[in-house]
Amino acid sequence: MVQPVLSPLVERPAHVPEALVYDLDYYADPGVLQDAHGRALQVAKEAPGVFWTPRQGGHWVLRSHNAVFEASRDTERFSNAPISFEQLQAIIESLPEGAPKPLIPAPITFDPPHHAVYRNPLQKAFSPKAMNVLKDNIRALAVELIEKVKPQGGCAFVKDISEPMPVTIFLQMFGLPVDRQREYRDLVEEHFAQTDKDPQLIQARLRKVADVMRDAILERKDNPQNDLISLLWDSEFNGQKATLHDIENYAVMLFTAGLDTVVNGMALGAVHLAKNPQLQAEMRAHPEKTSDLTEEMLRRYTFTLPPRFVAEDCEFQGVQMKKGEMALLFLPGADLDAAEYPNPEVFDANREGKPHIAFGAGPHRCLGSHLARIELNILYEEMMARLPEFRLDPDKPLTYHGGHVWGPNEVYLKWDV
Amino acid sequence: MKIRIDKDACVGNARCAAISEVLFQLDDEGYIAVSEIDVPEGMEELARRGARSCPEKIIEIIEE
Repeated sequence: MVQPVLSPLVERPAHVPEALVYDLDYYADPGVLQDAHGRALQVAKEAPGVFWTPRQGGHWVLRSHNAVFEASRDTERFSNAPISFEQLQAIIESLPEGAPKPLIPAPITFDPPHHAVYRNPLQKAFSPKAMNVLKDNIRALAVELIEKVKPQGGCAFVKDISEPMPVTIFLQMFGLPVDRQREYRDLVEEHFAQTDKDPQLIQARLRKVADVMRDAILERKDNPQNDLISLLWDSEFNGQKATLHDIENYAVMLFTAGLDTVVNGMALGAVHLAKNPQLQAEMRAHPEKTSDLTEEMLRRYTFTLPPRFVAEDCEFQGVQMKKGEMALLFLPGADLDAAEYPNPEVFDANREGKPHIAFGAGPHRCLGSHLARIELNILYEEMMARLPEFRLDPDKPLTYHGGHVWGPNEVYLKWDV
Repeated sequence: MKIRIDKDACVGNARCAAISEVLFQLDDEGYIAVSEIDVPEGMEELARRGARSCPEKIIEIIEE
């Protein structure tokens, strides 16, 4: 993996008070690359609840639980897209006949009321009930992956387990060929590793993703199967039949969001377990506590940083913001906020009545949250049941990546055989 | 005891139903199906825990 370069400092705009400036490069902060959640904890402790960073072109970061919660539910002031849905449609309509349409990850980049229209076809498919049906299949996959590495006395956890597991499940759900997994995963990695914000380059990367899926998408139009692509072809939006452009927009969204998030969630969990043999022993003795463990892992190591864009000049929690500015929802910090979670650095699976917002708050709540929870629960259960006490390989120190999803680049585990 | 839920504000976390599927009934999409629930005797603690589990903080317990 290429080491990201710290972005240059930009000048503080006049409306940003000096007291609100805090230096955090969410892609390339040296502290993040060394220990992502150590740095998140530091930010949670010392940065203002709403701050402005001079990195990555200069932008707001909402880090307090209160600020993240409020902004996530305030879709009037905080938009999910840099330009409005109407402006976007106007641009698309103004394109010459046959020109390639820009890919717009849907429904995550849409605001209400359009968001609900495009999220609707997926709701049932990702509901807790629908996800429960997949449990046996997910467990079989987890068992297979763990049993494969067990005799080796160690593994590269990301490559061997946390990557193939969710990626395989996702490809099966979507109706994409599982044997091309490596190709898909490389594309996602390439997409997330880039820090440039050049719209043309972003489009080129999204186009590559859509092109990989294009054959399967077109094939399902005429031969529907029991998969998400077929379900989307069967959907209508405001009375209009789904188009190839619609399906591609969903595909790039589900592809990027479904493949990189839970991979990192699992890897962060594996690191914590490997560092805490006591916790492993406790979990082996009490497998019924696994879901509490999963929830605390999600809180302690929240890993996504979704962007928002200020929709109008406004005052938010006493801070003046200008239309078009980016406000990053610093979910890892929100879930480590001492004002919401006493002793936030302490891993305590018995926390009750203090739910985390690792999957976000408001209408954009992670669509895949129920799937992610099942995958995480099953993985932890099977790791505890099948592997002896495991530890980090001391010869291979951890390094992390920043970006919109934080996590370790690889986790080398060892155990006695 | 009653449970009152700001149903329109539900975003489908389904954490309440993870505490008690009986008390907190969801629709097919996994969102809360009701806005008011009479808590049967003996289920008060589950009701309270369900309310506390909501990340959106939209579940209110009305003690009678």
